[in-house]
Amino acid sequence: MDSNFPPEDIAPIAILMDELKSDDVQLRLNAIHSIPTIALALGPDRARNELIPFLQDSVDDEDEVLLALAEELGRNFEEYIGGREYAHLLLGPLEHLSAVEETLVRDKAAESITKVSAVMSQAQIEEFYIPLLKRLSHGEWFTSRTSSAALYSEVYAKVPSPIQDELRKAFAALGSDDTPMVRRAAAKWLGPLLKHFAPQHISTDGLQIYRKLHSDDQDSVRLLTIEDLIAIAQKMSPAEVHEHLLKQIRQSIGDKSWRVRYMAASHFNELAEAVGTDLVRDELVVQYVQLLKDNEAEVRTAAASQIPGFSKLIDRETILSRITPCVRDLSQDASQHVRAALANQINGLAPLLGKEATIEHLLPLFLHLLKDDFAEVRLNIISKIETVNNVIGIEYLSESLLPAIVELAEDKSWRVRQAIIEYIPLLANQLGRPFFDEQLGNLCMSWLGDTVFSIREAATVNLKKLTEVFGVEWARYTIVPRVMGMGAHPNYLFRMTTVQAITTISPSLTLEIIRADVIRPLLELSKDPIPNIRFNASKSLEVLASSFGSSSEGRQFIQEWIIPTLQQQKDDQDADVRYFANRALQKAISVTS
Amino acid sequence: MGAWWGEKGRVGLRLRLGVLGRLFICFRFRQIEQLQRCEPISEEQVKRLCLKAREILIEEGNVQVVDSPVTICGDIHGQFFDLMELFRVGGFCPETNYLFMGDFVDRGFYSVETFLLLLALKVRYPERITLIRGNHESRQITQVYGFYDECQRKYGSSNVWRWCCEVFDYLALGAIVDGRVFCVHGGLSPNLQSIDQIRAIDRKQEVPHDGPMCDLLWSDPDDIQGWGLSPRGAGFLFGADITKAFAHHNATDLIARAHQLAMEGYKHMFDQTIVTVWSAPNYCYRCGNVASILELDEHLGQEYKVFSSAPLDVRSVPAKRPPADYFL
Repeated sequence: MDSNFPPEDIAPIAILMDELKSDDVQLRLNAIHSIPTIALALGPDRARNELIPFLQDSVDDEDEVLLALAEELGRNFEEYIGGREYAHLLLGPLEHLSAVEETLVRDKAAESITKVSAVMSQAQIEEFYIPLLKRLSHGEWFTSRTSSAALYSEVYAKVPSPIQDELRKAFAALGSDDTPMVRRAAAKWLGPLLKHFAPQHISTDGLQIYRKLHSDDQDSVRLLTIEDLIAIAQKMSPAEVHEHLLKQIRQSIGDKSWRVRYMAASHFNELAEAVGTDLVRDELVVQYVQLLKDNEAEVRTAAASQIPGFSKLIDRETILSRITPCVRDLSQDASQHVRAALANQINGLAPLLGKEATIEHLLPLFLHLLKDDFAEVRLNIISKIETVNNVIGIEYLSESLLPAIVELAEDKSWRVRQAIIEYIPLLANQLGRPFFDEQLGNLCMSWLGDTVFSIREAATVNLKKLTEVFGVEWARYTIVPRVMGMGAHPNYLFRMTTVQAITTISPSLTLEIIRADVIRPLLELSKDPIPNIRFNASKSLEVLASSFGSSSEGRQFIQEWIIPTLQQQKDDQDADVRYFANRALQKAISVTS
Repeated sequence: MGAWWGEKGRVGLRLRLGVLGRLFICFRFRQIEQLQRCEPISEEQVKRLCLKAREILIEEGNVQVVDSPVTICGDIHGQFFDLMELFRVGGFCPETNYLFMGDFVDRGFYSVETFLLLLALKVRYPERITLIRGNHESRQITQVYGFYDECQRKYGSSNVWRWCCEVFDYLALGAIVDGRVFCVHGGLSPNLQSIDQIRAIDRKQEVPHDGPMCDLLWSDPDDIQGWGLSPRGAGFLFGADITKAFAHHNATDLIARAHQLAMEGYKHMFDQTIVTVWSAPNYCYRCGNVASILELDEHLGQEYKVFSSAPLDVRSVPAKRPPADYFL
């Protein structure tokens, strides 16, 4: 914050006024964002007496500028006007902002009012905040009533019970407002407010406001009551839920508007956790199955995303008898989004079902989804297959899924291929060396020649990880000859892959292997006609120098092989080769000296 | 005018890379990293980057000579995350050499980040990446199609736009790979029979409304005989006969150009003497097309790599205001 200039030399308010009159919105925005600086220059007294009234009266601007003002006033602005005992002064301009037309400005103003309320004392709240809340709640125009709904929950717990009674009554009025926008805001903020209600008020006022909103004729209001329902249920005993809310739960899940059903479906686990196990078993299973079979794909997608979470709450028999048949249907769903959501979650069922049932019921579905036309479905299954692996064991998985994996290894979407590659080290670990060599060895090598750069890169990282799994001797006889063989390929992309594979893998190899099998071909590549190969060879040499410089044998190797090559390369005709060779040379010299 | 278009870039650059040059390189690495995360750099940094870029571009020829292997790319149009996808498929610079045939800016959400990243790469690795001018690299066009507004929005002034436009004036008009593949944004011009004639153009100016420089950036190949009027209102349409005569006269095998959406990512015409390469997948975020890049290996073998737009989780759509709630 720049307050070096002497305050008497400027007339900060005048500058602010000037800038706020500018034709350029950007300048006006900048001016608003600089009000903390101006307040600092004015000092707390003048900021209180001049700046705040100015902001309250004369700002009538574009929404973007008002939004900025609402934001600035919420950023601990009381510190500039003399501390928290003056915080209530900020409510003036914010009250004005919370009544404007643009929703974003009002939301931001309400947010800032809440922030200001947090630093206000009990007396300030009663003297200034509550009257403000009343004025907004009874505002003539719906905008201020809408904003007011957001302001109840934060102060409710801070005021004495007579005022709490008034607040509940006022909020109930918002819930039966004539304007849907206000009722929507009430529905949105009822949940947070309910958290502060005493138990006796939950089942009286709380329930009453909720029921009113729940039966609203606008679906945009009803859909917001799902979260209120969860909030009430959380505060009630299962018996009370059964008595007071069962009808509403049924109605929401079976609402004629799909948007309400969508909200119910996407919050289903929260709801189920709030109502208690008995009701889940007796009532919600039926309702959930209904959502999984909904006519609208959006609802089915949302319901599918809750499958493992909901299944955790019910017993295994019920999962098998009620949920798995739906899962089977969803795997054949006409909507790719439903199938993708299912593919993302279905793995989570395996630990709940156990080995036998997973093999019997889920494995066929995995195989089916792995052949889905839609790449995202395949990708979702593959990237989460580890969970299944842990349940049924790798032998069974590899036996049944390996053919599908081999097929996917050549998938036309490179991101699917990438997901498969990332899964390979794990598979290798479980399969063991002989089986791996036989089944997957060639595949791992073929990725080095993939047309997509990211796959070639992933393939080299994969080889490094495999070296860590199977050991350097294995690498020496299976990987190294194949990688080095590509170094003489007529196409430079293959030679480039060789160089980059050396850079990636060599830290996991031994000096003996480097000396015997790697260094000579690499030195050839450092003289390649293509400059890109040459400077990547320099990078490889740099990695070799930093990996093997710790032993005297290694330092001798660097002296003999690496430094002379780099010294030649640093006079290369290409600037990039010279740059990377120089960098590598400095590294090599620093580890040997 | 001096010999600013003389082709002595390599010598000039080598002389300049002293100690200061190395410091500059470190600085440039950080900028490239920052830009690769799609974070704009400061206004002051943009100014320095543009000045440096001009120093390098001024040394390049109107038809920049490029060695194979090189990967040729078409229009990007500010689709930053799709440019990242392009690099994931084709390899990152400097490992892969690139030739971008213009139209870096306009239409997409991230013209600023896209152009500045390419420019930062150009400054850091001048011999690994070549940028030539497209019809959108112009003051007039960018004021209509988004780049100007984007600069205003992201920097709060038109300075960045102005500096970028000055760089546009220095971009080469075409490139030739190993003397055999001629690359240009739009196409041919009735006023130009030989590549040498292009070298004689005074390119350091705003793209004119007509004439040879305009045609190179605006023309399209079409199934006609000879020359035709372009529906675009600038440049011409040219047929197979014109294309083949140009190839024969200049001893080239292929003309690679961009400028027109190709739904399959690339499109050959006239017995494969000309190809359109298009590198903006799902153009304008709604055309549903795939994109491609053309990899020329060291023997000038052609391989087209087709790719789709970046998946949702690796890109984002900026909004002046937060996006509207799904349920209003």
